Amino acid sequence: MHVAETIYRAVQVDAGIRGGDIENVVATGYGRESIEFANKAVSEITTHAAGVSYLFPDVKGVIDIGGQDSKVIAVEKGRVVDFLMNDKCAAGTGKFLEFTAKALEVSTEALGGLALASRTPVSISSMCTVFAESEVISLRARGITKEDIAAGLVESVAQRVSVMAKQIGLKENVAFVGGVAKNAGIKAALERKLGVTLFVPFEPQITGALGAALRGKAQVLAGHEALLRSCAPPSKR
Amino acid sequence: MVRTLRESSITTYTLQCLSDFEDAYQRRINELTARRNQARKIVGTFCLFVPDEIIYAAGADRVILCGGRNATVSLAEEYLPRNICPLVKSSFGSVVSTECSGGDACPHFNLIDMVVAEATCDAKKKMYELLNEYIPTYVIDLPQKPDSPAGIAYYTVQLEQFTDAMEGLTGTLITDDRLRREIKSANETRSLLHRLYELRRRDPPPIRGLDVLTVLQKQFFLSPEELRRILRQLCDEAERKPNEGARKPRIMISGCPMAGGNIKVPKIIEDRGGVIVVEESCTGTRAFWNLVDEHKDPLRAIAERYMQIPCSCMTPNEWRTEHIRELVERFNVDGVVYYTLQSCHAYNIERFRVQQALKETHTPLLAIETDYSDSDVEQIATRVDAFMEMIASSP
Ligand code: SF4
Ligand code: SF4
Repeated sequence: MHVAETIYRAVQVDAGIRGGDIENVVATGYGRESIEFANKAVSEITTHAAGVSYLFPDVKGVIDIGGQDSKVIAVEKGRVVDFLMNDKCAAGTGKFLEFTAKALEVSTEALGGLALASRTPVSISSMCTVFAESEVISLRARGITKEDIAAGLVESVAQRVSVMAKQIGLKENVAFVGGVAKNAGIKAALERKLGVTLFVPFEPQITGALGAALRGKAQVLAGHEALLRSCAPPSKR
Repeated sequence: MVRTLRESSITTYTLQCLSDFEDAYQRRINELTARRNQARKIVGTFCLFVPDEIIYAAGADRVILCGGRNATVSLAEEYLPRNICPLVKSSFGSVVSTECSGGDACPHFNLIDMVVAEATCDAKKKMYELLNEYIPTYVIDLPQKPDSPAGIAYYTVQLEQFTDAMEGLTGTLITDDRLRREIKSANETRSLLHRLYELRRRDPPPIRGLDVLTVLQKQFFLSPEELRRILRQLCDEAERKPNEGARKPRIMISGCPMAGGNIKVPKIIEDRGGVIVVEESCTGTRAFWNLVDEHKDPLRAIAERYMQIPCSCMTPNEWRTEHIRELVERFNVDGVVYYTLQSCHAYNIERFRVQQALKETHTPLLAIETDYSDSDVEQIATRVDAFMEMIASSP
C-alpha cells in the first residue's frame, strides 16, 4: 500500500473519525499528484504559507529547509507574493547536513549543539556536498575540533539560505519550518545573518500539511455556503 | 465524492490547420534536397542577427541550425566543456554526430554549403571556430553597443562585406532592387506574425502557446512563402474561432531562445493550467517585432532594424526591459516566466534588471534556469504550480 494511504488510515484511527465522514482531502508536497484519495493537489509553497500564517498571523516570510530542498517564501496576509526554491543541489538543504555530519561521525541532530559550542568556527569552502565531505575529513585530520567544523557546516547552509531570503526581501516576522528548523545551530546562524528572531512552530515539519488541511476546510465551507444560498427562499419583491 | 483532482484534460486550442503542419518538416527537407540538386546554394544560420533579406537577395536559401534536442548534447561534450549553454552543445553535437538521422528537430548540416554565423555570446563564437573545421563558417561581426550611431555604421559595413561573401557564394549580384524585394517579403512575414500575436490578446486566446511555438521554431527553417501560407491559415482560423473556454492565468515567457525540439518549460506551463500568450524570445517577439523601413537605403535600413533586436549579448540593452513591460501591458499578462538556459550568462544576469522593472508594475516573475534534460521536470512543475496558485490568489 502507498505510504500516504497508510498514514491516512492511521490518522483516522487516531482522530476517531471514519473515512466516510471526510468530505475533502488536499494533497501537498512531492508526489502530491499521485495521492489517489485526494480531491485536490496544492503545491507545498502555497500550503506552507497558509499553515504558518495560521500559527503566526503576522508572518511576512517563511524559510523552509527540508531534506531535499530549501525554499524561502514572502507572505502577505496568508498569501504567497514571491518565492525562491533551491532543489538543484544538496547545498543549503538537510541532505548537506546529513552527509557532512556522517563524515564528522556525529548525528545530524547533534550538529547544531556542537556548532553552538564552537569558539573559532572554520570556514567550509565547498558548496558541493561531495567535496564538503572530503573537506571535513581533511579538517579532522588536521586536528580541528568537531565543534569548529560543525559550526562551519552550519554556517555554510545558513549562508546559502540567507542569500535566497535576502533576494526576496525577508526582513521581519519570519518563520522557520521544515526538518532543519529543529536544529538550534542553524536557527541561530540564520538569525545572525538576517538580523531577525525566527519563529519556529512547535511542529515545524507539518506546517505544509496544516496549510493543506486549512485549504480543504475553506473549500468545504465555501461549498456549504453556496449550497445554503441556493436553497434560501426567494426574496420578496 | 466528486473527484476534482487537477484537471488533466486541458481544453486544447489546437486549430484544425495545424494538422496540415505536421509534414511541413519533411516537405521542406524534400524541397531543399531538390534545390540543392539544382545547384541552389543553401546556408545555415544560428541567430536573428543574420539578415534573411541578404541571403535571399543573393538567390540562396537558408535553414536554421539551432539545436533544441538533448540527445546530441553529450556527443558535443567530447569536444566542448560541460558548463556551456545546452543550445550550443546540442547544435555542435549534431555536426559531429553521424547518427543524426533527421528527426523533427535535427539540424540539417548535410544540406548546406556554408554556415553564416555571428559574433554574439562567447560560447557561440568559440563553437563557430571549431565548426569551421567541418563546414566553411562565415562570421558576421557585431558591435556591442547597438544604439550608438557608430554601432549602426559598423554593422552596416559588416553587412556590406557579408553581401560580398554571399555574391561570391552564389554568383548573383545583390542589387538594391533585389534587396528591396526581399525586405518587402520579410516585412510581410513579420506583419503576419503581428496579426497572429494580436489574436493572442483575446481572453482566452484562440490558440495555445505551444502551438505558436512549434510554428515559430520553424520560422527560419521553412521557406518564407510556406511560413506565410501557414500563418495566414492560422490567423484565418483563429479569427473565426468563437471566444469560449475558461479563463486561465496568462503567462508570458521571456528569455533564452527555445530551439526546435525544446518545449519542456512551455509544456509544463500549459499542462499545469496556464496559457502562454506571448514570448519575449528569439522564438517569439524578438524575431519579428520591428519592421525594416522600406523607404530608406536598403542596407542601411536593414542594419537599423537588426540593431534593434533586444538581445542580451548587447549592452546596455535597455530596450529589452522596456519591450517586456510593453508586452506585459499589451497582452494583459498575469505573470512572467523568466526562462534561461544554464550557463547563458547574458540572459541570466539580465534577469535582475527585468525583475526590478517588473516589481515596479507588480507583475509576478518566476525564474527558471534549466537545460535540455528531463531530470528537473518535477521540480519545475512544483514551482509553476506555486506560481499559478499565487496568481490565482492575488486580489
Ligand atoms: S539570443 Fe541573441 S544571440 Fe541568441 S539567437 Fe537570439 S539574437 Fe542571436
Ligand atoms: S542561449 Fe545564451 S549562451 Fe546559449 S547561445 Fe544563446 S546567447 Fe549564447
